[in-house]
Amino acid sequence: MKNNRAVTLTQCQDGHSLNFQAMASACEVIIQSSDQQLAKELGNIIANEVWRIEDKYSRYDQNSVCSDINNSAGQTVSIDEETYLLLNFAEQCYQLSDGLFDITSGVLRKVWRFDGSNKLPTSTQVAKYLSYVGWRKVQFDQQQITFVKGMEIDFGGIGKEYAVDRAIILAKQLTDLPVLVNLGGDLAVTGARLNNAPWQVAIEHPDVDSTEANIERNIKKSSTESGIKSNSPADMIISLKSGALATSGDARRYLLNKGKRYSHVLNAKTGWPIENAPRSITVVAPACIQAGILATMALLQGDNAEQFLSEQEIKFWSRR
Amino acid sequence: MKTEKTNIKAALTIATAALLGGNTVAHAETTAAKEDNSWEFDSAFLFYSETDRVSASEVILNAKKSFEDDEILNLKLTVDALTGASANGAVAQPTVQTFTRPSGNGQYDIAPGDTPLDDTFHDTRVQLNAQWTQAVADNLTASGGVHISKEYDYLSLGVNGNIAMDFDRKNSTVSLGFSHFQDTFTPEGGIPKPFASMLIGDSSAPTWDDEFAKTRLGSDDDKTTTDLLLGFTQVINRRMIMQFNYSYSMVDGYLTDPFKILTIVDDNGIAQDYVYESRPDSRVKQSIYAQSLYHFDTNVLDVSYRYMWDDGEITSHTIDSRFTIPLSDSFSRESYIQPHFRFYQQSAADFYQPFILASEPLPVFASADYRIGEMTAFTIGLKYGLLVNNGHELSFRLEYYRQTPTDAGFDEPGVLKEVDLYPSVDAMIAQVSYSF
Repeated sequence: MKNNRAVTLTQCQDGHSLNFQAMASACEVIIQSSDQQLAKELGNIIANEVWRIEDKYSRYDQNSVCSDINNSAGQTVSIDEETYLLLNFAEQCYQLSDGLFDITSGVLRKVWRFDGSNKLPTSTQVAKYLSYVGWRKVQFDQQQITFVKGMEIDFGGIGKEYAVDRAIILAKQLTDLPVLVNLGGDLAVTGARLNNAPWQVAIEHPDVDSTEANIERNIKKSSTESGIKSNSPADMIISLKSGALATSGDARRYLLNKGKRYSHVLNAKTGWPIENAPRSITVVAPACIQAGILATMALLQGDNAEQFLSEQEIKFWSRR
Repeated sequence: MKTEKTNIKAALTIATAALLGGNTVAHAETTAAKEDNSWEFDSAFLFYSETDRVSASEVILNAKKSFEDDEILNLKLTVDALTGASANGAVAQPTVQTFTRPSGNGQYDIAPGDTPLDDTFHDTRVQLNAQWTQAVADNLTASGGVHISKEYDYLSLGVNGNIAMDFDRKNSTVSLGFSHFQDTFTPEGGIPKPFASMLIGDSSAPTWDDEFAKTRLGSDDDKTTTDLLLGFTQVINRRMIMQFNYSYSMVDGYLTDPFKILTIVDDNGIAQDYVYESRPDSRVKQSIYAQSLYHFDTNVLDVSYRYMWDDGEITSHTIDSRFTIPLSDSFSRESYIQPHFRFYQQSAADFYQPFILASEPLPVFASADYRIGEMTAFTIGLKYGLLVNNGHELSFRLEYYRQTPTDAGFDEPGVLKEVDLYPSVDAMIAQVSYSF
């Protein structure tokens, strides 16, 4: 993706839209301002920050800090403050989810390939990799991290949402004008649009495309001008004045075996997919990383996903 | 279990603040979601009960569908059932009074000192409205609708049209509306003759039906209503919106209430006779209305004032105010409370009189219907609403209504001084609504 790093600027009805690719997603920044210079500057600052986070924490990038840690199997690796803070956040999530959310569970992907096929791994295969899963086996402090050979950590569950929140912080430092940051459907705003108007955010049905949320200035535009996206039967429009939205779930990543649908959400404790999880859950929260983790935690509750969020008195939309 | 789970949200807030830095985390604020191209439904159940008088229950189902190019189809079904007793217009007396039912079938007695109420009041009304709205040009929206309402003894058919034009970047909207209704009234027992004496006696007697028929004009009558509305909405600033309306309404035809009577009293206030009321056959009513919505940082104040006047000397002032107080937490789980206060004051129609003096000549028009007499009324209420799963809204409303008819300066001869000519009406209103 690094060869594709460019920010394109387009003028829209009452502002500017800046588009770039990052984290395998289409990313968009919208600023409600006619100042093209400001828009460009904002787009560059945010894109650079998102790319920085991608470079630092992508497990696909062999030069990332994440790969550094994962490749230093069994040895102690020095970490910086940002990495410590992210690990610390992951630790909180592990504890709050009673071990269901675990950033060491990524190794299970070696046996689980959610490609829409019917190929389930055997229990032996799952058990083998499950022995490399377990946040409790990770030791870390503000300077370093250590875990056993064969284990891996993966920031995939929080990285994109973290990047959204970082982008919002940088946007607020640059301007007081209304800004929306959308990284492949996980998004946040700096505040209401001018005249205290809400942002209208269309969340697409996961059957159509779960990785892209489509942002439009108003419902009218989204229903008449955005082509394919408006044809999806159940776009949901959410008015957002402040805070963030994140969606967990992906209708295209699953296995189908003997009529049973296995979602890509894995129980880190058993190594098997969560049963009867909603196809997707969208959560509203003050920060994107909170929204994302709550949506994921809810999916991990399977049948009880909605009940979990209801008991938490959290606003959400689920699709089953 | 519950407390442990509730902590997840708080713990995450702390964890997020640690990750992103202290004051960077704001709160989330979202409003209702909708799904494109699907029906949206609003349902409500309302119960209204007046102390010792009418009670009504009403079910409303509203279905709305938006189409690709912003056309909106709105269908609304209202069913209400009314039972109980309603003031027949006669004054209270120190002795038992006997009245004939409006149908002519049977009679009822009213105890000394009590305001005469006809307790045969019951009706079921089914009402259907369909409205189509679409943009016809840039900044120009047109809307048209039909209305049908049917009761046992009443049929109302209506059409309406409205155009609205936005200008100044949609900060201003001018709208022009028109509606026309055609109503037919077929009361049981027919239309009574104005000022005919209520026939009282043995309703099983062989001559009764003929005698009763002499007090009747026919079986049905009708009226037409034409309303014109001119409206102007202006965004004042980012916190405030104002709306101004002027309406002109013409009603022609049968405007009399066939169930209402007046008491003819002698100089001692003793009832001599009961006669059917008579109202003019046309009425022109005008009103001006101003509404202001003001957004504080979180609360919203909605205040409106209406001044209405007609060609029969009725004038009224209505002040209505609602204050919406959101009770959301930082995760945007919204709920709100909304106190409501309404004040209404009305002067009497020129043909209103609480009774007729036998010693004076019969007026051309007269009605003792308390609803067109001088009165004040107020409503206080509270609504609680909350967003439940998937953006659906549930709300509860409870209100108290008190109507206080007042004396517009009529002398009260003899025994009428000892009875209550202007009894107050108290009512409770309860409503549950659900949008999905």
